[in-house]
Amino acid sequence: MKIRAAVVAFLVAVAAYPFVLKGQYPLSVGIITGALAAGAVGFVLLLGYAQQLALGQAGFCMVGGYASAILCVNYKWDPLLALVAGALVAMATAWAIAAPILKLRGFVLAMASLALHLILIVLALEMAFTGGALGTYGVPKFALLGLPLASDLAFYYVVWAIVLGFVLLGLAIDRSRIGRALKAIAASETAALSAGIDITRYKVQMFVVSAGMASVCGSLAVHYLRAMDPNVFGFAFSLNFITAVIVGGLTTVWGGVVGAAIITGLREILRGLSLPLWEGVIMGALTVIVLIAFRRGVAGFISHIYDRFTGKGAPRVSLAQPDLSALKKLEHPAARLQVEGVARSFGSLRAVANVSFAVETGAITALIGPNGAGKTTLFNLIGGYQPLDSGTVSFESRRIEKLLPNQIAALGVGRTFQNLQLFDNMTVLENVMCGTHRLFDRELFNRSKAKAALAFVGLHGAEAMQPGELSFGHQRLVEIARALALEPRLLLMDEPASGLNDSETERLAELILQISALGVTVLLVEHDMRLVMGLADHVVVMHHGEKIADGSADVVRKNSEVINAYLGIDHAAA
Amino acid sequence: MDLSVFVQLLLPGLTTGCVYALVALGFVLCANVSGVVNFAQGEYVMLGGVVAAFLFAHGLPLPVCILLATLVGALLGALQERLTLAPVRRSPDFIQITITLGVAVVLRGIALIVFGKDPHSMPGFSGDGVFEVFGAAVPIQSLWVWGATALMLAVMFWFLKFTDPGRAVRACSINLQAARLMGVNAERLTLAVFAVAGGSAALAGIVITPIVLANWDAGIAYGLKGFIGAIIGNFRSPGVAVLAGLGIGVLESFAAGYVSSGFKDAIVYGVLLAYLLVKGGVFVFGRKSLV
Repeated sequence: MKIRAAVVAFLVAVAAYPFVLKGQYPLSVGIITGALAAGAVGFVLLLGYAQQLALGQAGFCMVGGYASAILCVNYKWDPLLALVAGALVAMATAWAIAAPILKLRGFVLAMASLALHLILIVLALEMAFTGGALGTYGVPKFALLGLPLASDLAFYYVVWAIVLGFVLLGLAIDRSRIGRALKAIAASETAALSAGIDITRYKVQMFVVSAGMASVCGSLAVHYLRAMDPNVFGFAFSLNFITAVIVGGLTTVWGGVVGAAIITGLREILRGLSLPLWEGVIMGALTVIVLIAFRRGVAGFISHIYDRFTGKGAPRVSLAQPDLSALKKLEHPAARLQVEGVARSFGSLRAVANVSFAVETGAITALIGPNGAGKTTLFNLIGGYQPLDSGTVSFESRRIEKLLPNQIAALGVGRTFQNLQLFDNMTVLENVMCGTHRLFDRELFNRSKAKAALAFVGLHGAEAMQPGELSFGHQRLVEIARALALEPRLLLMDEPASGLNDSETERLAELILQISALGVTVLLVEHDMRLVMGLADHVVVMHHGEKIADGSADVVRKNSEVINAYLGIDHAAA
Repeated sequence: MDLSVFVQLLLPGLTTGCVYALVALGFVLCANVSGVVNFAQGEYVMLGGVVAAFLFAHGLPLPVCILLATLVGALLGALQERLTLAPVRRSPDFIQITITLGVAVVLRGIALIVFGKDPHSMPGFSGDGVFEVFGAAVPIQSLWVWGATALMLAVMFWFLKFTDPGRAVRACSINLQAARLMGVNAERLTLAVFAVAGGSAALAGIVITPIVLANWDAGIAYGLKGFIGAIIGNFRSPGVAVLAGLGIGVLESFAAGYVSSGFKDAIVYGVLLAYLLVKGGVFVFGRKSLV
């Protein structure tokens, strides 16, 4: 509904503009706004969704601009084909750079893209085929596969049709599993990995898409300007993108459209007032102020008002009883985990030293030990969150000690965290839907699977709520539901009872038994001895990084070394 | 290879490298205590030069110009931290970093409006003469640049190594969270580091101005090249960042001299891209520590 309202408003505004503000000058502004909007929509996907700042986005406009200019002038290509060719080149370049660089953490893409842009400027100046400092002149008007656009008005509508296409593409990404994955990454990279989401991959995808859209922006602008030279798309143009999407709004692709309109309008006003020098200060100040005080931007604000007006908001529903029939038993529960001689040191501290044990299919295995025993480190080694110094980990027949966390999750290994890692930018249902990421199913199935997982843990009815609106105990259940939505064969639970009160812990114990009854193999790290002794088929005890005991709960309970470790040597002697 | 040509390229390269080194150091220090990459770092170099030249042109004595321009850098650095970063300390990193970019744009814009489009010049501190080394002519001002840089580096490394706040900065670089738990007052430290980074960048901009002129849009180049140094230092190691900054200055000078001045930037940035591609792992796979 909201999307339809926005599209209608967009169509009306775009269609009406040339008739409300008549004349060549407003039309020119409209065309330039549209070109900028095309690139800005892509930039929202990059900055808002993938949270990657690129300082050299105008470099991709150069690629599109030169492709259109050179192919149309020197090789007489059709403008539309040249535009597509430019976009493809820009996307290939973006991929070649981003795929390796985005594996690095930090903000290297910002500078890498700027470096690329500056290199492109040097090449454009120094190479012969670009026309050097003079550039390429005599670019024809835009045409659609041989059909020339006679008037600027027709070109205006074509530009905005392209913008609409990009917006719809952006909205489709937003509503797909990719959009959900990006939101998950933005909220918690660790939890996204645990749901099987490949962080680098989606960031790279957004960079590639945004590069393509920036290239189209460049092509359109050049067909309007009828010339291309190295100064058209400078650093200031990259800043335009950044300011536009921040002021427009980072949370929706509409922000790119709104921002482009605001930026162009502002620049024209400053020009009209003969204050062009003030452009930089005002743009920079707007960026800073919006980011500090109105982070949703104008489009986010409009969306907020719309929600208010239509009375939409999360309905409060009382929680239901767990529906144990919601999830089916696993058909192929095989999930044997074998840990063999695993070690990990931090400097001189041996956090995990030569630990071996096995988790048998269908069993509930507990990993216990006093504080600082190395349990969580071992857990992180198994889950892929840290590299091993030595040793092997096998899941069924596969060696997994070198795999990344998302790859391990994709094998069917779910995980919950001691410190809750929920995605606070999504509803409860969307949180759980993230768990289905590895399954590559249709959204309809993902949704019903997530609902079933919520029903199973007793959160039926909380789908539309934000995680923050739930109690701590219920939030923990959301995390478990998310891990269950992954259809795991093995579930790793890191101190699931921490922070729960007695009755909540009791219910948790029941839930873990029910999960086990589904055929899911469970490995839990736990402090709460009552929980462990009541639940676990098999207990592994760690102390000072080493395994000191391994066996059934009863055997371990009587082990003197374990008693020493927990109670100190005096108690054992007494 | 002709020795005099080599030296003629090496020494000016070291001179601009000094500026990059100080900017790189500023990047590393700010990132360590606050987790924020401050894109405005290069603008303080520009401001230092422009403000000093402007004051000198208005008849103030040279030492006063130097002092005031340095103070302006330090003050603006502190203001930036208080006004634009302290209020959003808990926001995601990319928000804070994008804010610093906005601040950089504002600083450039202000410089453009207040000091104008034309480059500003300032006489050398000990005259505009040159001295000769192995047949290469080097401006005497270079000695000031090298001396000021060496002095600032010495003071900062002494500070990092032998003072309590310096140790706190280093602790933050190893583990920000743990350092805070140990009672490091990150708030005050962050403010101090932004002021020092702003001031030292401004001073670098002042001493280089007699050689290269000061221009409102020079900040981005200084910032970018200092940033390369910081990347090579992994935003962790101040020493590596400083050496890398010097190296970039020399590389740039050699590229301009031995290849072509038009391709100078393309070569420097090409090296950066290549470095990132290799480091990011065209050939590297496997786990890194994530927790």
